[in-house]
Amino acid sequence: MQSLVLENLTKTYRFGHLGRRSWTALEDLSLDVEAGEVFGLLGPNGSGKTTTLKAVLGLIVADAGRITVLGRPQSDPAWRAAVGFLPEHPYFYDYLTAVEYLHYAGRLNGMAAALRRARVADLLERLGLARVAHVALRRYSKGMIQRLGLAQALMNDPQLVFLDEPMSGLDPIGRRLVREEILALKRAGKTVFFSTHILSDAEALCDRVALLRTGRLVRTGRLDEILQMDVAHVEVLVTCLAAEVRESLVVRPRVCHVMGERCRLEVDEATLGELLTELTRKGARILAVQPVRQSLEDFFFREMGVTQGQGGWALDD
Amino acid sequence: MGSGRLRRIIAVATNTYRETVRERVLYNLVFFALVMTVSGLILRDLAVRQDDKIIKDLGLAAMDVFGTLIAIFIGVGLVSKEIEKRSLYPLLARPLTRSEFLLGKLAGLAFTLLVNLGVMTIGLYATLWAIRLRGALAAPPDAQLLVAVAAIYAGMILVLAVALLFSTVTSSTMAAVWTFALVVVGRYADVIRNMREVVPGVPSWLTELVYYTLPNFAQFDLKNRVVHGESVPLATLVLILAYSLSYSTVLLGVAALAFRRKDL
Repeated sequence: MQSLVLENLTKTYRFGHLGRRSWTALEDLSLDVEAGEVFGLLGPNGSGKTTTLKAVLGLIVADAGRITVLGRPQSDPAWRAAVGFLPEHPYFYDYLTAVEYLHYAGRLNGMAAALRRARVADLLERLGLARVAHVALRRYSKGMIQRLGLAQALMNDPQLVFLDEPMSGLDPIGRRLVREEILALKRAGKTVFFSTHILSDAEALCDRVALLRTGRLVRTGRLDEILQMDVAHVEVLVTCLAAEVRESLVVRPRVCHVMGERCRLEVDEATLGELLTELTRKGARILAVQPVRQSLEDFFFREMGVTQGQGGWALDD
Repeated sequence: MGSGRLRRIIAVATNTYRETVRERVLYNLVFFALVMTVSGLILRDLAVRQDDKIIKDLGLAAMDVFGTLIAIFIGVGLVSKEIEKRSLYPLLARPLTRSEFLLGKLAGLAFTLLVNLGVMTIGLYATLWAIRLRGALAAPPDAQLLVAVAAIYAGMILVLAVALLFSTVTSSTMAAVWTFALVVVGRYADVIRNMREVVPGVPSWLTELVYYTLPNFAQFDLKNRVVHGESVPLATLVLILAYSLSYSTVLLGVAALAFRRKDL
């Protein structure tokens, strides 16, 4: 079953006097998300990730196209009770405490008081906010606000969770916590649809990804399929390889990276056997041999047709 | 209205009320208390025999001014602030419609104004009783003051509806400017009607149209009549309340329409 289906979604923003100028944020976007998968929407800033999420949630009105959420048309409000949403750079009422805000969110979802209490306590504990549960949100750090954002998105135990840049503003501990939450959601059979421009997060979490560029879908596919493509190199990690021996290798590695006593060699698959024999013969200790897969980052840049460092790209926070 | 819908509106209203309390909106009551105390003390020293009228006049005017200012300056931020800060996003992703959100915001601030006005009314009566206990007031304060207070509240609700409408279509600053302008114009509605006497060239249909279209805030002012002992018929008050309610409903309907397809 599909949790989300977008068909030919188009959105143009009009601005200037009498809306005479326009900017197409989404153009004929079609994609579907299977139930139970973690789906990543990738793209640089301004590629239409947030616009897609806003259109799905009804925060903006698409000019054309059809949206189906949890098997229901977007205009049918019944699906809203079964979704959660974490916006990008969230802001929550700073005069409230986390407990008060989560109860407010629960009330809007029609949750009974006893259920709300149990859910609030559980979420605050899981997301490391129990200690500051009764502190006004104006005293929260950016990372704490982000974690509260995730808590409110999960308040109603949703079937489908939309996360817009969920790792934004988080320190490594917070990022790991959110990653674990996303994986826990997947284990629980929930669907997660999240946008990010942090490729390592997508690589660690997503079953499938879609790449957006200037509002258009560039590519969509399973991450393992994408990353298995072009496996042509093998990485060999060795130690006890003296510099002069390294220089005199008959099989020349494509990459030779020395890290203290260890050395990382990268060779073509065809010459691997020959290299391993030579290394063993010359007294080197082989620690590991593994294929070099294309990283999502390589794929991303190749599909986008740009080289790393070109304008508007951010690989990591 | 379904119970789920009502519960959501009440949740938004409760949160809006809590916001105004925590943002210290009700601190204006301290100023009101100060105005009442100082005026009471001054009048005692001056030994003015008509001090009850002055106290009533001052008290009702203070209620009107404080209430209207709160309705304008908090009202204009009700929706626009939520859009600007994006606090609205996670709420509207839930089973909360935009109309329910608007109604909840209006109800929350209307309740704040009611509490504000209620406390000020108690303060005014307390001041009048204090004067009476000093022997400066022969008769106890009557219930007619409540008629003026009710009319003030009806006016505030209409100001609030105007502010909410502007809040849905423009920024907080522009909404404040427009609301304030409309309130001022509406308070001098009679001037518009009599404009032909000042500017003879203005067609009468235009002045009539403007007079009947713009909210007439002048009619919510029953202060003078009540302070000077004139008895205001109940029918007048009912008409004033009905006017406020029907005009506010129309404005809220327009706001809901404008807000329904607004890109956030």
